Amino acid sequence: MLATLFSLSAALPASVSTDNSWINFDVTSLLQNFWPATFDGLTFGAIYALIALGYTLVYGVLNLINFAHSEVFIMGCYGVVFTLTSLGFGPNAPNLSIWAIIFNLILAMLVGMVFSVVTAFVVERVAYRPLRRRGASRLAFLITALGASFSIQYLIFLVRGSNAEPAVTMFIPTPIFQVFGAIIDSQQLTIVIAAIVMMVATDQYIRRTRVGRGIRAVAQDPDTATLMGVNKDRIIVTTFVIGGILAGAAALFYVMKVPSGVIYNGGFVLGIKAFAAAVLGGIGNVRGALLGGLLIGVIGNYGQLLLGDSQWTDVVAFIVLVLVLLIRPSGLLGQTLGRSRA
Amino acid sequence: MTTLLELKDVVVGYGRIEALHGLSFSVEEGEIVSLIGANGAGKTTTMKAISGLLNLSKGSITFDGDDISKVKAHVRVARGISQAPEGRGIFPGMTVLENLDMGTYGRKDRTGVKEDLERVFTLFPRLQERRTQAGGTMSGGEQQMLAIGRALMGRPRLLLLDEPSMGLAPQFIKQIFRIITEINEQGTTILLVEQNANQALARAHRAYVLETGTITHSGTGRELLSDTAIKEAYLGVA
Repeated sequence: MLATLFSLSAALPASVSTDNSWINFDVTSLLQNFWPATFDGLTFGAIYALIALGYTLVYGVLNLINFAHSEVFIMGCYGVVFTLTSLGFGPNAPNLSIWAIIFNLILAMLVGMVFSVVTAFVVERVAYRPLRRRGASRLAFLITALGASFSIQYLIFLVRGSNAEPAVTMFIPTPIFQVFGAIIDSQQLTIVIAAIVMMVATDQYIRRTRVGRGIRAVAQDPDTATLMGVNKDRIIVTTFVIGGILAGAAALFYVMKVPSGVIYNGGFVLGIKAFAAAVLGGIGNVRGALLGGLLIGVIGNYGQLLLGDSQWTDVVAFIVLVLVLLIRPSGLLGQTLGRSRA
Repeated sequence: MTTLLELKDVVVGYGRIEALHGLSFSVEEGEIVSLIGANGAGKTTTMKAISGLLNLSKGSITFDGDDISKVKAHVRVARGISQAPEGRGIFPGMTVLENLDMGTYGRKDRTGVKEDLERVFTLFPRLQERRTQAGGTMSGGEQQMLAIGRALMGRPRLLLLDEPSMGLAPQFIKQIFRIITEINEQGTTILLVEQNANQALARAHRAYVLETGTITHSGTGRELLSDTAIKEAYLGVA
């Protein structure tokens, strides 16, 4: 993911190729590319955070890791790619006015959201609700979540086959300004700002609205919430739908950042990272998902620079996750959705 | 007087274990009815059956003339059944005001809600003093006040109180029961479940004794207070 930035440092004498040892700490590269890597990491982190919110919200009200959320996300990516392809977008950036591009991207995002929301809604109805009705054990939910994830993956495989979708380039990033010598481009700015706006809106929705109060009540004590007149089933569906909306937005930003390669099992790794982000911040905690997402994004990039190969991105991110959990088992912000104060 | 709540041959089980074996009793409009019994007699199960958290295997529950056995729990709240649950069920992360607000979740009449908030603050001045405090940080007695106040915010016709005296200091218990009587005098029908039989019988118009899932005695509060068998079993008098 850092290939373009990284090519700079690959030419330096301190880089990996000059050493025969298995792991070579390339501190020079990290220091030289620190700020570009930070901003690039924040961009990926914002996308992870949007997906992480879906895991965290559902976990908050159901105490369930919805492993099918990675497929909720990838379905959103298909929605985005299909829309842009049919609007004439392709491997090369289109020659359109800025307003036309914005209009097309918003349209693609809305379709992505619809794809994700429908997927999330169906998963809740078909996979989880019948189990709830029967008072199934937590293990049954877990197995069902994995089953739902694979079922959707292979359903996509059946329809689209094993090849990745063609690339859709939305626009060529243009430099906007510089911070600490690092160039911030229009793409990074768009993704980070839009993602943060969506996350703040979600946070406020949960803190301020009536339905948000219902979500918090169900998270804290489902039985008592019911005694207050809260329709628990409707609240649960609402959290799946909110998670779907955010995943659809994440899909647009992800395809914007990584234009090629949307594939049937492409949600898996991103889902795992987003899940890790949710756990890192404190699962069930909305602000924790944001913090965890940004950290996973940034730390992964540092690891890649330090160890000199993009394969290390995930390894380093997960090592940090394990270390944090050893010290703070409940995550950085620790609280659950229910306990977070308004 | 009209019958507000009636249970007929109610059977409720957890899995294969039956907790209520054909329970029947009724609550008239305007009454305080106490249901007393030892631990495990089925008091909380009865409350959960009435509020809809548990489904009936057999029998029926009628509220205000309608069979509500199949009505979902959150809809029963809108029909006028509010509960202060066992263990109080305070939302720990919400403030006192937010907790009270949860009691109005299904309501849309804003002016009515305002009136009810004033009423609750008049009944429990302590809640007004603590309205911005997190529910989880209050004492047991204050949480009980909050649980009752929150149930009243639903403007119920029937108020279900599950062990309001549990874990409270004696002076708090007296105060809570005094307020329960006051709420009833303002026109709310109350069904009270208690282990503290003394207060529960003294305050009740009528009462039932529940033993291992069935009613064994019934009568006015005063009759049961003077019944020797009940004195021995529940009032600690040999």
